[in-house]
Amino acid sequence: MAAEEIPLVFEFAPAIAVLPALSLVVALFFGEYFPKKGAEAGILATAGSLVLSLIMLATVAGGQTVNHELYTLVLGVSEETFGLHLGILIDPLSALMLTIVSLISFLVHVFSMGYMNDEGETGLPRYYGELGLFTASMLAFVMADNILMAFMFFELVGLASYLLIGFWFRDAGPPSAAKKAFLVTRFGDYFFLVGVVGIFATFFPATSTPGMFAGEHAFPVVAEHALAGEATVNTFGFEPQTWFTILGLLVLGGVIGKSAQFPLHSWLPDAMEGPTPVSALIHAATMVAAGVYLVARMYGFYALSPTALGVIALTGGFTALFAATMGVVKQEIKQVLAYSTISQYGYIMLGLGGGGYVAAVFHLTTHAVFKALLFLGAGSVIIAMHHNENMWDMGGLKEKMPVTYYSFLSGSLALAGIIPFAGFWSKDEVLFETLVHGLGTPTASSTLLLIGYAFGLVAVFFTGFYTFRMVFLTFHGEPRTDTAEDPHGVRWNVKAPLAVLGVLAATVGFINMTPVAELTGAHIEFLHQWLDMAPEEYLTNVHHYTEVLETASHYEAAHISPLAPGAVSLALALGGAGLAYQLYGTAAHPEPHTEKLGSIRTLLMHNYYLDEFQVWLATGVTYRVARAANTFDQGVVDGVVNGVSSVSLFSGSRVRRIQSGVVSNYASLITLSLVLLIAFFGIMGGWF
Amino acid sequence: MMVEALLAVTLIGAAMTFLSDDEWAGRVAAGISVLPVVGSLWMYANFQNVGNALLSGSLAYETTIDWIQLGGYTIQWHVGVDGVSMPLIALSTVLTTLAIVSAWTPIDERQSQFYGLMLLMEASLIGVFSALDFFAWFVFWEGVLIPMYFLIAVWGGPRRKYAAIKFFVYTNVASLVMFLGFMALVFGLGDSITVLGLPEIAQALREPGNLSTFFGMSPGVLRLVAFTAMFAGFAVKVPVFPLHTWLPDAHVEAPTPVSVMLAGVLLKMGTYALLRFNFTMLQETAKANAALIATFGVVSVIYGAMLALAQKDLKRIVAYSSISSMGYVILGLVAFTPHGVGGATFQMISHGLISGLMFMAVGVIYNETHTRMVGDISGIADRMPWTVGIFLAAAFGYMGLPLMSGFIGEVLVFLGSFRSTVLPNAPLFTAAAMFGIVVVAGYLLWAMQRTLFGEYELATDYEVGRAPLHDVVPLAILLVLVIALGSSPGIAYNMIQRAVNPILNLAFALGGVL
Amino acid sequence: MAIQVQYYLLLSAAMFCIGLFGILTRRNALLFLMSVELMLNAANVNLVAFSFQYGNITGQVFSLFTMALAAAEVAVGIGIILVLYRNFKDVDVTKAATMRW
Repeated sequence: MAAEEIPLVFEFAPAIAVLPALSLVVALFFGEYFPKKGAEAGILATAGSLVLSLIMLATVAGGQTVNHELYTLVLGVSEETFGLHLGILIDPLSALMLTIVSLISFLVHVFSMGYMNDEGETGLPRYYGELGLFTASMLAFVMADNILMAFMFFELVGLASYLLIGFWFRDAGPPSAAKKAFLVTRFGDYFFLVGVVGIFATFFPATSTPGMFAGEHAFPVVAEHALAGEATVNTFGFEPQTWFTILGLLVLGGVIGKSAQFPLHSWLPDAMEGPTPVSALIHAATMVAAGVYLVARMYGFYALSPTALGVIALTGGFTALFAATMGVVKQEIKQVLAYSTISQYGYIMLGLGGGGYVAAVFHLTTHAVFKALLFLGAGSVIIAMHHNENMWDMGGLKEKMPVTYYSFLSGSLALAGIIPFAGFWSKDEVLFETLVHGLGTPTASSTLLLIGYAFGLVAVFFTGFYTFRMVFLTFHGEPRTDTAEDPHGVRWNVKAPLAVLGVLAATVGFINMTPVAELTGAHIEFLHQWLDMAPEEYLTNVHHYTEVLETASHYEAAHISPLAPGAVSLALALGGAGLAYQLYGTAAHPEPHTEKLGSIRTLLMHNYYLDEFQVWLATGVTYRVARAANTFDQGVVDGVVNGVSSVSLFSGSRVRRIQSGVVSNYASLITLSLVLLIAFFGIMGGWF
Repeated sequence: MMVEALLAVTLIGAAMTFLSDDEWAGRVAAGISVLPVVGSLWMYANFQNVGNALLSGSLAYETTIDWIQLGGYTIQWHVGVDGVSMPLIALSTVLTTLAIVSAWTPIDERQSQFYGLMLLMEASLIGVFSALDFFAWFVFWEGVLIPMYFLIAVWGGPRRKYAAIKFFVYTNVASLVMFLGFMALVFGLGDSITVLGLPEIAQALREPGNLSTFFGMSPGVLRLVAFTAMFAGFAVKVPVFPLHTWLPDAHVEAPTPVSVMLAGVLLKMGTYALLRFNFTMLQETAKANAALIATFGVVSVIYGAMLALAQKDLKRIVAYSSISSMGYVILGLVAFTPHGVGGATFQMISHGLISGLMFMAVGVIYNETHTRMVGDISGIADRMPWTVGIFLAAAFGYMGLPLMSGFIGEVLVFLGSFRSTVLPNAPLFTAAAMFGIVVVAGYLLWAMQRTLFGEYELATDYEVGRAPLHDVVPLAILLVLVIALGSSPGIAYNMIQRAVNPILNLAFALGGVL
Repeated sequence: MAIQVQYYLLLSAAMFCIGLFGILTRRNALLFLMSVELMLNAANVNLVAFSFQYGNITGQVFSLFTMALAAAEVAVGIGIILVLYRNFKDVDVTKAATMRW
């Protein structure tokens, strides 16, 4: 590694992650002595991270980036072994993500003061400490410069979410949900780790730093050279492209687990057992975002494999629709939001698989904002409702809590994808990119993209419906219970984050208005330009990805206007919203229309029985196999051991009968043995 | 003379402890056992060498004295330390002290004998990891068993006699098998060796032609027979499936501090010996049978983890998971890659710390609740928050959470075995073994959910309070060590790698700095 | 003329077999002791006979030692028999069968 000149400002980059880590220590050990029980440390730390992230953003905007080793875990010798290290990679993508994460985390900390402190919760130092750990791990994950470091902090994100979901450990539900979250994501991470190990084994010794994300020696770049025949890598007997597909799909296992994609999505709705601000953090910026961020981070590698891209797109599209249908029937406000998260991350995956790198990152950004907003809004509603989450017990909250209502509405419009709110621009672009690549690509993977697109398009309708069903049931009509009649008030620390995010949800879409740019010819695709600013030598910029997509995966864009597809999706979203209005928005006391769905509703309420299936896999199959193995171990393996001892004991108990105690018997035995011995020696010695 | 000093201090300490009052024995033993800790850490800090004890002859703290003449062989007092044994010696001394402190609460009779035996065992362990002459090594090797036998048989649980006898007979028979295998090798070498030193034997075996026909076995067959006998002998100690069944019984019946030593250090004797004997002296045989050996490792990983899933006793869970973790060591050793062998050795140290921590944490909970059964306790986190916090951390360490030592050990083993050229289908073996990380999370999280969390309930009639400070401090120290090794693995890994490279015929040394 | 050595050996073998027969068949401890004495003396006869045959005095010296030894043995044996009688009110060796498994 050449000693490169690092701009001074990047010396502070590690502090972005270190500050929240410090807040973990401070809050956990000294939180008791603070008036806000450790919230101060968390807020200060995340505010510091936010400021530093913004500075990084500005520096990157100024054209400076950094990609270097920071700390060596295991030394390597270039010829024989590779080392393992931690490092930072700050390019447009990670700078953007750092800002999002630290912003959301900061707001969640502020909101937590209203949600946790004001509600008189105990164990707050632990809470704020774990929030600090969560933020720190995610920030470190985002700026990881190599895939092993990414894996390490990916796991720590999982740990933090385990701790936070199980925060209320005295109840039965949260520990169970926490276990499920960790276990299901761990199952995905298993494939991820195999992939990581495989990547290291594949690209060493072709490059001495086989895990790097960006730069000339990064694995996506070496893989690209290998495909072009310019480099030799160890592909374990496979065709390079096949092997890269396998590796990509292995890593994708971790993504599917963390980003709650089908079939590993089932942990996410259960994770609602955690405190609501934590849900906001998990869904918007940290845990779930980590998965898709990873795909974006190593997009250069996925772009090499049309199969992997197709699988990503299809998984994403299917999950988008699948989760949206389940969101339609839920009764708890947080459940609806949970399924909407799964669905929205499906869109992001669809965008990534569909060749829309910018679109996916765009949707990741807007989704972080509006989903954090919706969760915090839901949290505000939950405070008001004295921790009753059932929407059928609400109603009419619009007048009682206007700040919450209007910000929640802004978030809902964004989620449903209504122009001009953020979600419209990004979701539309995801669908559009998938469509044009599906239509333009000549190879077989275009079918996968088109199927994914179809799923995604249908899901738009459902999204509009469940979003506004939630809004109408919660805020409109007449109060249906006494609590809804007289809700608990919320303070500034709840309202302020809502207001900030509400404004952002309405406006953040303007950073990449592709249809408008297309129409007017104005250069206002800021996000595209931003992501394209990554330095040439990193090979992580948009035009490089486009080039790789074309050469390796034969992705080509069909030239169609973005207007018609945009109009279609907008119409579907409005249609869904309109149906929700028809069913729930007009009456003062809406009827539970979903009950008319009959058995389909039962199916949806039970999440297509996937949870039951997974529980069966765990207890019905794995546990039974374990019990059988235990029986085998006790019976057969240990049985042989005990058998040896039984045989010895038994034969001993029989043989000892010779010791009759009668001297005459001993004398005859001695005589007999002596005679036999003499006879033996006689025969052997040839005396006869 | 540092090794001799360590041995002398520990033995004198053992004698003093035997003679001291029961009331004070725990304090005396802890105080004395700090000396070897300081000594071994001083050795660790001043450790400088560049090679393997058996192959490159470059050693630290070495002593060689001719001792006994026996049938054409000279038996020497030959001790020395290299990068593999140094961390293991430090692990033994540190873990002994912490185990002694953690015994203050649970051991309430015959204390002077208990702590005396603990120190006696420590001396034998130091001897096992430093002796380089087969005679002395074997004496120390067997010498570990005797204190262990009494520690289980006298201070153990209800079935302690069964467990102690099973442990002793099982491991002793294994030693016998190993001894016969090794002696066959020695006699096969004939006149090419004059001392029973392990380095001399290793070097004699490396040169072709030294091994002659013995007892009707050609050199090739002799290697295989000796390898098999020694592998079987050491595999019992590790333990490797299917020779593992003494372990759960011994762990369940042994008092907690003894379990700590058993899992923390005694199991490492097996892998240490495998590395020294099978994988250094007879590595051609190991390479030729790599697939079979790796299968034993992988089966141990998965089988141990599955068994742990079916258990209800917390100690049994940890005992079976030890089998699982030690399977990784076997896989790493047989890979014959720098990361594989180095990672396996690192994993020995890491598992020693983490399993010790885990057993101690279970022990602290047992001290307060007097039960270890999963169904009997729930919501204990409510009453003992800090202990449960450390328990949680230990469990995640066991699951291989990054920034804790288990992660580095496992990832290095995986990185090493995936790239192995010796092992056919190395990626498949590696991927199969890696599934252990999912199962380990499954049983530990499940057990924790049922015992630590939920509403507080206890089936036994004890009032659970916070654990005394001297119970929690050893836990905290171990946790700090685990995190230190996990976030800065070079502390141990660099010296390990240097000692391992000669085994792989690699001449390079790592970096300029230690 | 001297008697040939094989007659001594025959005598010795006969005495030995008589002693052995006594040990195998008798139940009385005293007879046991006597039988043992017979066997010992059979060995003595052998020693003396060979000593005479080879003109070497060592064998006769050894037989003197054996006699002394036999005397000592009888002393111990009688002692054991006395204890046996005290404990079992009998000197039947098959009755004293408590020292078994």
